[in-house]
Amino acid sequence: MISLFRKAYGASPLHLLAVFASFAIAGYGFFMIFKSPAPESALLYFGFAVVAHDMIAFPLYSALNFVAGRTTRAAEPEQVASVGVPAINYLRIPFLISAISFAMFFPLILGLSSDIYEAGTGLDAGAFLGRWLGICAVVFTASAILYAVKLRRYSRSGTEPAES
Amino acid sequence: MKLRSPLPAEPPPGPTRPEFWKSPLRGPWLSSFLGSLLLPFILICATTGFLSQLAYGDNSFLPEGGLGFSIYPFDWPAGWPLLYALTQGLHVTSGVIAIPLLFAKLWSVMPKLFEWPPVRSLSHLLERLSLALLVGGALFVFFTGLMNIQLFYPWSFSFLVAHYYAAFVFLAALTLHVALKYSTVRRSFREQGVLRPLKYGLKQTVPEPYREDSTTALEPAMPTVSRRMMLGTIGATSAGLGLMMFGQTTFGDTFRRFALLAPRGRVYGDGPNDFQVNKTAEAVNVTPDMTGDSWRLQLKGEKTGSFSREQLLAMPQYTYDLPIACVEGWSTTQTWTGVRLRDLAALAGVPAASSVLVKSLQEAGSFREAALSDTQLDDDKSLLALRVNGVDISMDHGFPARIIVPALPGVLNTKWVSSMEFKAA
Repeated sequence: MISLFRKAYGASPLHLLAVFASFAIAGYGFFMIFKSPAPESALLYFGFAVVAHDMIAFPLYSALNFVAGRTTRAAEPEQVASVGVPAINYLRIPFLISAISFAMFFPLILGLSSDIYEAGTGLDAGAFLGRWLGICAVVFTASAILYAVKLRRYSRSGTEPAES
Repeated sequence: MKLRSPLPAEPPPGPTRPEFWKSPLRGPWLSSFLGSLLLPFILICATTGFLSQLAYGDNSFLPEGGLGFSIYPFDWPAGWPLLYALTQGLHVTSGVIAIPLLFAKLWSVMPKLFEWPPVRSLSHLLERLSLALLVGGALFVFFTGLMNIQLFYPWSFSFLVAHYYAAFVFLAALTLHVALKYSTVRRSFREQGVLRPLKYGLKQTVPEPYREDSTTALEPAMPTVSRRMMLGTIGATSAGLGLMMFGQTTFGDTFRRFALLAPRGRVYGDGPNDFQVNKTAEAVNVTPDMTGDSWRLQLKGEKTGSFSREQLLAMPQYTYDLPIACVEGWSTTQTWTGVRLRDLAALAGVPAASSVLVKSLQEAGSFREAALSDTQLDDDKSLLALRVNGVDISMDHGFPARIIVPALPGVLNTKWVSSMEFKAA
């Protein structure tokens, strides 16, 4: 009986029960959203949220990573590349920090809600672009210095650079 | 029974082919590790989120849940003043920490999106549907939360309703996901060790053993980064942004000016009234002629009365350090002086009032009145504050008088109070 079910369904009955329980609670969530004002707007955003990373962000940052990989590999001094000081990490680590903080705080950084912000706080909303650029400047500069130090240490000693 | 598929058995060229995926870091261990890292933050975020709904009590805009009963079995306490600053600070901080980890997690399981055949069985189909709810629910809840703390609302739905009920979708799908993936996590931790892959630098970094049906690459490229550096970068980003959220709370007040991307990582100045404002008097059209000498506090209850600011100042005054703690995750503690709400209840002839409705001079906009429970009324530290840090409270902080109650969500501490209506049990 169980094995028949398993054959038809592809997993154990417990799996189906768990799926039903999960869908029931999720269904309640959707039901309450449907009852609220402008559910179509919420649904649109939900649909966008399903694909936002996998279909939009992922292809974008993968392409950037691919290009960066090619460029840095081509530009790297050969003897350094052969022992593996992968220049790309000195690019993609500060880039990742800057990009994630921008993706998370772009309304503040770009001042998209400056009217509400200023009415709410009594402070000017323009401070965040400079703050974010400062963070970018610090991480990219630190990365450049670290890479320069590493290259220099390698070319001086001729030995393999320290582990990263 | 396999679902009969019109699709070819061989995947078409592109991401559906296993050899398309090159990263040598992807694999069950990486996804298990990221998932295990993510889960506690999500649990903290979810718990504190539900607690916030409880803290809003009767003042919540959330529609009736349609269940016929409240899912909250007890009232929000007033005994520990810092409680809401703590829970809501944790809510925003843990949510912010979770987001970079979530991106890494989504990256780590990308090949699964393109697995071939797309549907193997009914159970597989349901599981994939549930994953759409999981990913959509997670990004929806985190995105709306992030926009709310930045006061940016590029939509027409109600933030509160959608954020709260999408969390049901997210958590339901997450619970199923954890249950279904538990054995995979156990197995990869048993095989790879929980932390062992973190020991390896770039040169010892090798792909996880290839296994069909997993995210391990069939033809992995040479690694350019070690797992520990990848996780370290993501972890540092999470930690850095999390620290900034901590810096806008009363617990991290010393670092507030360094909380660079925190919406309330701002310092007003050194004066006694220089601390975080939630809505300015100007923004809600409360003008000096409304708050001048003609202002009276109207008390309603068994008796009615009207009191000038001087009369209130002549009553017994109490001073306490109490936080303003916002739903947006920021908080700040100040020294407040004023009249006990309990004393005002007695003046209104309802010494054992079960609730009070406080109204503001503010004529339009949300949260211009708030209902307080008997627990909140009864607390020694629940004040109608007239002064802060030794001086009169400023217009932006609610002159001539504002409510300040321990552990009460900030926006319910009504400013520019015009009337208080006490109700007997």
